[in-house]
Amino acid sequence: MQQAPSGARAPARAPEAGLRQRDGRWDRWWRSPRARRRWLGLLYAAPALALFGAIVLAPVGQSLVYSLYQWDGVTEPTFVGLGNYVNFFTDPLLRDSLVHVLVLVVFFSLLPCALGMFTAALLGGQRVRGDGVFRVVLFLPQVLTSIVVAIVWGRVLGPDGPLNSTLRAVHLDSLAHNWLGDFTWALPTLGLIGSWTNFGFCMVVFLAGIGTIPRDRYEAARLDGAGPVREFRAVTLPGLRGHLIVALTLTMTGALRTFDLVWNTTRGGPGSSTTTPALMLYRYAFQDPQLGQASAIGIVTAVFCLLVALGLARMAEQR
Amino acid sequence: MRTSRVETIANYAFLVFGAFVVLVPVVWFVLTALSPERSGLLDLSHLSFTNFPTAWRQANLNHTLTASAVITVGAVVIQALLAILSGYGFGVLGVAGDRVLFPVVLLGLMVSLEAIIVPLYYQLHTIGLTDNWFGMILIHVGTSVPFGTFWMRAVFRAVPEALVDAARIDGGNSWQVLWHVLYPIAKPGVLTLCLLNFMWTWNDYFLSLVFLSSPDRVTATVALGSFQSLHTTSVNLLAAASLIVSTPVVVLYLFFQRRFIQGVVSGALKDT
Repeated sequence: MQQAPSGARAPARAPEAGLRQRDGRWDRWWRSPRARRRWLGLLYAAPALALFGAIVLAPVGQSLVYSLYQWDGVTEPTFVGLGNYVNFFTDPLLRDSLVHVLVLVVFFSLLPCALGMFTAALLGGQRVRGDGVFRVVLFLPQVLTSIVVAIVWGRVLGPDGPLNSTLRAVHLDSLAHNWLGDFTWALPTLGLIGSWTNFGFCMVVFLAGIGTIPRDRYEAARLDGAGPVREFRAVTLPGLRGHLIVALTLTMTGALRTFDLVWNTTRGGPGSSTTTPALMLYRYAFQDPQLGQASAIGIVTAVFCLLVALGLARMAEQR
Repeated sequence: MRTSRVETIANYAFLVFGAFVVLVPVVWFVLTALSPERSGLLDLSHLSFTNFPTAWRQANLNHTLTASAVITVGAVVIQALLAILSGYGFGVLGVAGDRVLFPVVLLGLMVSLEAIIVPLYYQLHTIGLTDNWFGMILIHVGTSVPFGTFWMRAVFRAVPEALVDAARIDGGNSWQVLWHVLYPIAKPGVLTLCLLNFMWTWNDYFLSLVFLSSPDRVTATVALGSFQSLHTTSVNLLAAASLIVSTPVVVLYLFFQRRFIQGVVSGALKDT
């Protein structure tokens, strides 16, 4: 960040004094090229900052206020303090959605990252010919819009979809399920769809990271007689630490916010076996208006994402 | 460094397996879109493109693709412009009050949509900007300010300072320095930002679902969602419509894959 000139700080604390004498320090500061540039800079940033303030900052504040009230959007709101927050953790329906999303974190984040790290360890610093092609294919699910991912998998896993027909064709009828319509299977199935989406992303991130690890480290490890496990722990893992943390942050916050995939496949069902906080937020905001509760869900989700991001960023700093 | 043959084969086997897992459902879906069988069964001997025009009509893609295109192009252009200006402010000129403003924008990177969606909807509703393309553009632009600012700030900071100083000494004012000196050098960075914003805006589902409601104003992604629940029996048409909607981003991705991947990866690395 740009440091303010030291002279600029003192007058800024007492501008009135400077204003009284025309040639005072404040006046000189105001006319200094550095300060003029910074006001000009503010002018350049102003349109973006204004829009950001109106679209993001002001609603965050309002959300905090809303979340303290019970309000259906029509009648007079009643103040309930932290009731909506308490409700999030005690109401069985809402608490379940939180549990579901924790299951999704395993599938959306931990599993793909583990698989990606495994691949990275396998590659162990060597270049693969044609890795560009693999990269393009593996990254593809990231650029597909969520609704198409939901439609593709909704059909593949449907009662008469190709997965079940294949299972029946090889006489494994007992394994065929209505994957997304089954109380036991729906949530892990959604999770695996997320693994499919994110696994290539994690691999691409780690492959990019592998390229930044000096090759002589691998050679040194081999000369020391390190086996694959020690090589992984001594070279690959520390070398990919930053990349791992980025992949974890993005996939975890993505999992905590899951909406599109669930909405377009199970709508939270069967029953309420696949609800997520974002889905409950949508219900309470636009279908069965309880705006205070919806805002509280939004705030808590955002705080969770923030904590995950900050927590992991801290881990990245502790080298 | 010598790597054993077994190891190389194992690596390839793993990568091929990964690519296979990604591609199988996608390939099945493409073949479904080309099959005449409505139930979604593959009929490889009668592949044809006839599903595409039918799907286009039935999914009302004329209107919905227009909506997606207007919102996406409008948002991408304004996002790029604001990002260039604010990135120039924060990265090159310095911004009065940046000790406060910068961390606030930084925090904005981590504010998720969920935290703002409820009041934002009701506020925009009262001023008539819901179910409105301009309103959608405003939301996309406003929420993209933190990423755009950081991205362009980093891009401008990579330009040698001596270049900017030389131009300033030559008598260029700040506007000329930006557009005649910095912008030409920063163009590749701007292009990557535009591509990422294009992908994020075009692929958006949640915002469109919340803020747009009239059938002739919703975006293609939301229309696809309702098409899915209405036409559960014509899987081949659904697949064809899905492919049409995915095409713009996938084509851009195939052309600029390096930029997409580097953009997402490096953008993410910068964020933390």
